Amino acid sequence: MGKHNFDIESYCRITNDKVVVNNELLMQKGESGDWLADIYHHIGMQYPKFFKMDHLCKVGTLAAELVLKDKTFDRETVKADWAVILMNSASSLDDDRQYQETIRDRENYYPSPSIFVYTLANIVTGEIAIRHKIGGESSFYVFEHFDGARMDELVARAFDDNPELNTLLCGWVDYDTDGCDVLLCSFIRKESKESSENIAEYLNQLYKNQ
Amino acid sequence: MKELIEELKTEIIDVLNLEGMTPADIDENAPLFGEGLGLDSIDALELIVLMEKNYGIKLANANEGKEIFKSVKVMAEYIKEHRTK
Repeated sequence: MGKHNFDIESYCRITNDKVVVNNELLMQKGESGDWLADIYHHIGMQYPKFFKMDHLCKVGTLAAELVLKDKTFDRETVKADWAVILMNSASSLDDDRQYQETIRDRENYYPSPSIFVYTLANIVTGEIAIRHKIGGESSFYVFEHFDGARMDELVARAFDDNPELNTLLCGWVDYDTDGCDVLLCSFIRKESKESSENIAEYLNQLYKNQ
Repeated sequence: MKELIEELKTEIIDVLNLEGMTPADIDENAPLFGEGLGLDSIDALELIVLMEKNYGIKLANANEGKEIFKSVKVMAEYIKEHRTK
């Protein structure tokens, strides 16, 4: 339990069968085969580039959209006091495999440029930064599994290291053969460090229970 | 030629993931880049792959693409003339 100079403003949890935003069930998976496209249409998103993205970028972009849906902010100006820090365990393996399929057969060797551009996990931080004009730090970490304490530590360090930072999108954005696993939060700076909530434990609960 | 233009429109929608778009939405004379379909540089590379994979056309010079990808109609005319499959 530690003292924090930040709060969780909102969060979004996306798994293979449901989307939860700030403790409310937004939608559950239906019969359709394309879960991520269903979420896109359900939230009324208008962003054609979404359909060109790999799964990891799609799910990260959707989560960011949901986390920020009720926040009032300048959508037209690049915000240097905003940052994005994401993590997962599968890196960009889902897209890497798809790319490998395009180069596997020497007789049918057509490397796909549009798949290749997503063969790095940190592209998703860039996609989110472009969409919401985030001009601060953009980082991506690969860990074995989700850990609320580690996330808490990364967020605390980001706010401590950069006094200009006011809003931080941070979370677990993973996509692999077994589908998606996302917990993305919006953290905002607060002046006082008086609170003693156990944010690490809270993050673990959000991850495990929803 | 009309058949090739329609085939090309379908392939472009598919390979470039132009969600919600049908062949009828694409004006065969409209520019593919900039205005028109608003494609980007990665789309241009994907079109080069499409030309090679589906029609056996290898563009030796990337600058050729500027002329060939002016519109679907120009692209179809080039394919008709140079296709090897």
